[in-house]
Amino acid sequence: MSDFPHAKIPQLIQDLKSGKMHRREFLRFATLLGLSATAAYGLAGGSDPLIGSARAEEMPKGGTIRIGMRCQEIKNPHASDFVERTNVIRQVCEYLTITGQDNITRPYLLEKWEASDDLKTWTITLRSGIKWHDGRPLTADDVVWNLKRVSDPATGSSVLGLFTGYLVENYETGEKDDAGKPKTSSRLWSDKAIEKVDDLTVRLNCFAPQIGVPEHLFHYPMFILDPKENGVFGVGSNGTGPFDLTEYTVGKSGKLTPRKDYWGDGPYIDALEFTDLGDNPSAAISAMASKQVDGLHEADALQINAMKGFDHVAVYDAVTAQTGVARMRQDNKPFDNPKVRLAMKLACDRAKTVGASLMGRGIVAEDHHVAPIHPEYAKLPTVERNVEEAKKLLAEAGFPDGFDTEIVTRPDPAWEINAVQALVEQFKEIGVRATIKSLPGSQYWDVWDKVPFSFTGWGHRPLGVMVLALAYRTGAVWNESGYSNPEFDKLLTEAEGTLDVEKRRAIMDKIETILQQDGPIVQPFWRTTSTVMDKRVKGFQQHPSQYLFANQLAITA
Amino acid sequence: MSVEVQPAVAVNPLQPSSRRLFRRVLRSPTALTGLFLVAFWVVLAVLAPILPILPPNDQDMIAMGNPYPSAQHLLGTDVLGRDILSRLIFGARTVLQVAPLAVAVAMIVGIAIGLLAGYFGGWVDMLIGRLSDIVLAFPVIVLYVVLISNVGPSVFNIVVATTVASAPGIGRIVRGLVLVLKHQGYVDAAKMRGESTLHIMFVEILPNCRGPLIVDACLRLGYTIITIGILGFLGLGLPPPTPDWGGMVRETTTVINIWPHMSLIPSGAIVSLVLGFNLLADGIGEGNKQR
Amino acid sequence: MLRFIAGRLVLLFVTLLAASVVVFSISEFSPGSVARKSLGPYASQEQVESLTKRLKADDPLPLRYVRWLGVLAGVIDDPLQDPATGLDFHDPRGSRYFGNLGYSTLYKMPVNDVIWDRLGNTAILAGLAFAFIIPLSMIFGVLSGMREGSKTDRTLSTLSIVLTSIPEFASSVFLVTLFVILLPLLPGTSPLTESGQWSMASQLILPVAVLVIYDFGYVARMIRISMVEVMEKPYIRTAILKGLSPRRVIMRHALRNAMIAPFTVLLLQVNFLVSGVVVTELVFAYPGFGRMLLEASLFGDITLIEAATLITVTVAVVTQLLGDIGYMLLNPQVRID
Repeated sequence: MSDFPHAKIPQLIQDLKSGKMHRREFLRFATLLGLSATAAYGLAGGSDPLIGSARAEEMPKGGTIRIGMRCQEIKNPHASDFVERTNVIRQVCEYLTITGQDNITRPYLLEKWEASDDLKTWTITLRSGIKWHDGRPLTADDVVWNLKRVSDPATGSSVLGLFTGYLVENYETGEKDDAGKPKTSSRLWSDKAIEKVDDLTVRLNCFAPQIGVPEHLFHYPMFILDPKENGVFGVGSNGTGPFDLTEYTVGKSGKLTPRKDYWGDGPYIDALEFTDLGDNPSAAISAMASKQVDGLHEADALQINAMKGFDHVAVYDAVTAQTGVARMRQDNKPFDNPKVRLAMKLACDRAKTVGASLMGRGIVAEDHHVAPIHPEYAKLPTVERNVEEAKKLLAEAGFPDGFDTEIVTRPDPAWEINAVQALVEQFKEIGVRATIKSLPGSQYWDVWDKVPFSFTGWGHRPLGVMVLALAYRTGAVWNESGYSNPEFDKLLTEAEGTLDVEKRRAIMDKIETILQQDGPIVQPFWRTTSTVMDKRVKGFQQHPSQYLFANQLAITA
Repeated sequence: MSVEVQPAVAVNPLQPSSRRLFRRVLRSPTALTGLFLVAFWVVLAVLAPILPILPPNDQDMIAMGNPYPSAQHLLGTDVLGRDILSRLIFGARTVLQVAPLAVAVAMIVGIAIGLLAGYFGGWVDMLIGRLSDIVLAFPVIVLYVVLISNVGPSVFNIVVATTVASAPGIGRIVRGLVLVLKHQGYVDAAKMRGESTLHIMFVEILPNCRGPLIVDACLRLGYTIITIGILGFLGLGLPPPTPDWGGMVRETTTVINIWPHMSLIPSGAIVSLVLGFNLLADGIGEGNKQR
Repeated sequence: MLRFIAGRLVLLFVTLLAASVVVFSISEFSPGSVARKSLGPYASQEQVESLTKRLKADDPLPLRYVRWLGVLAGVIDDPLQDPATGLDFHDPRGSRYFGNLGYSTLYKMPVNDVIWDRLGNTAILAGLAFAFIIPLSMIFGVLSGMREGSKTDRTLSTLSIVLTSIPEFASSVFLVTLFVILLPLLPGTSPLTESGQWSMASQLILPVAVLVIYDFGYVARMIRISMVEVMEKPYIRTAILKGLSPRRVIMRHALRNAMIAPFTVLLLQVNFLVSGVVVTELVFAYPGFGRMLLEASLFGDITLIEAATLITVTVAVVTQLLGDIGYMLLNPQVRID
């Protein structure tokens, strides 16, 4: 028993063997508790798909890979918001952990992590021998500096939101705003919250249990940057990663060249180039058709449909927890009435929405924002469409003739606006007359969490509780629907601190049922994310978060 | 746009009566073709609600598997399984409501400032002239994009932008005509009779500016339709699911290599309607010249 | 003449001021805050407010406008470059110099570093388009205007009208289908980077073609009208009646006079092309001024929009001025007071 890094692991193995636990769930929790992914896959019967060394010999060497992707401004990695930005930075600077294409999180710059039984103390240990490009070894001081920097509200990092509730607390500043309300801000809850133990070890002392720490350390802005550069990134920046950024023109192109002395797999290619093809989805297709790029960062269902006939193109898919939700603000009429919210869910024809807006590239969802690929998912019956029942509920809520409303959305990406158009037609049938207000992205993000009714795209997260805590807990930073349900909050906290599978699944069942019956979202589907690569590109796997790891890529002549 | 400063319209004080104008259109093959194209879309747009076509926003899931033209969908369906024929006809309704409205408002404003500048001359003329220069120097697309992307797309905003962009050009044409017409005998006669300034401007002078203005209006209609199409194509058009030709092209260029009909058909529709107005303008213009 | 040019330069100045005020005011209606746009959706309200303060975006409109003017004129330091803001905005030219167009919140770079490269790319595109528009429209216009109502005239005129009726987005749809998808002869995008087998020159063909198609028909019609008028002039008729060869008359007398009016038209197409490049650059992923303008507008990057406005207005007024001067030189009878 003492061979295992955590006392609970033998129990997990037992659960796996007895069938109480699914394979994916076993992998997730065994690695969570510090078992290496290789060992966990061994126990679960299989080999770790992320291990690249076995195939290193077969990889072709040399060549340039060109990827079509927006080249956005990348000066502040810790505050980056779009995947495109991080796909450039990711080749130079790295994360402490990595969540693979299989949705399993492993140590990366870390050698290992260890969690205390109460999940409040996390000890993370760096791999030894990792060097910055300038030759200096990577140390615990570097890690502490980065973790503290993202915890400072002035940095503008979204990691702050994830840390809030166990490492970061909200407090009143003592000042008042114009309305006379006390202003609040965030800070690390204690000076000891992030603590250096020795040159390679850091301890996180949390005030509440948290099972998502390894995943949080892979949140896209959570790069480990060289403290000497003070959080600013650019051409020639220092990093621990496989590439150097040698050229970058915002809105046009970028170029990265490989390092000879990278500590991990690869890199195999001579250069990685990004070409900015703008926001017009057909330009990306034209560029692939003319072989001006070897791959795209992302391709939506329409683009895939258009390109799957190209002889030289391979399509890559990943089943994800990416989704879009039509969310209703609970503090606004008529959505304050749970009957209205339920009626809206009953109006939704999920299969039709998947067909119409994703061209079938997705699976139906169940209105509770926990995906089948999440390890803690409990299966609930899908909400079947029932127009009569929905009308009845509306009548009971005092809207026998339905009502007029406005749903806010944005024009890009196309699947979002298409999903909204499909939903609006379905709502019409229960008497809800919704007009679509499509705002340009920048304006949309100013009101996305304020307007009574809007459609929001949510990114993939490896754990269901991660997104529930961000979006549905009372007062959470991204609680766009103003949802507040004390029972839900209590159950969620319980789930976040429960390791026992049976118990946790029972809690998740209750949580999901609450959201399905009372919750603020109509969630039609989970998206399959896709992209295309020239068939000459080897080693590519579609990551659910569309992360690119260019050190794994190679290209044949 | 630079249409407004062009000598495309020969300033010609000899004015046709409505009946003569109509007869002339019938006699010019160019104008007749234009009239036919415009009338085709106008009739479809007007009859849209009673034509035996599917509702423009209905999504036919079965047709999505095979979106090509079929007995059920004569022009096929778009990427959301909506009937292209129906969206095309309702799209004509949209564009034929917005464009004429926008041009009409621009005409009213342009005629007003042109009459003022031409009739009064002096500092009024000077002021209006300089202000027009300023507006005309402003690239219209910048105005449109900045305005619409900030304020949001709506019929009202398109009308405002068109008016701002077009009125100075119309004003110049009217001013030029007024300068010639105000020295005509019948204007002097009206002055002698003691008619009010307003009467002279609107009853004596304005009706005689009709010919060139009709030509100009046709050209402007064509251009406004293109502009509405461009805005739709840039994603700044009328909000979905309003059927909008430019938006239809935008939504479907992605799949042009597999389902080309989805974007080619609405593109063709825009071209045909714009062409209609341009031919009409050309035909009437020729007629004006030949007297 | 000098008085005329000086007057026009004053007008340019007034126009620039007016346009910049208008653009600033329109941005006031924009419901999105710059800070939110910079930080993205997932920043907290507190982070947004802090950045708004540091960007001084909550100051009243007139104050922001005057500050922008002051920075542009080089009278005051750009407050956003103050290291105390923590924005890390740094312009290698310094924080106070004449022509400081400010700092782009979209690109996080000085506007002067963003805009000129792209303007250069667009100038190449527009320049090439012009190089085709001028000879093509002259050939079309002269041939059809020479003998009004002839078969050539009817064919060419109709063709011109049809081509002017095809907006850029429609013609690019047609051209991409033909030359990229059906017959893969040309590259589908023009990112102006070395991309495989496609040379830079090949990347320019389709965007230039789209601009030429939409524009040249219009200019050709202008030349035609002017040509027809000249051909009806008594001295031309007399010359032909006297037995001079029509060809000689046209080349010697008619052409020069017929070109006077369209000369202005041609120059004004510069203004016209600005709108064409927005669509063309979007379709072909061309890294130019038009696409930048569209992105800046959608993002609400006010300093970049202002700079773009100043440039487009300047280009428009200066070409108009050149057009008028050229008109006077070509036609000595015209005097502009």
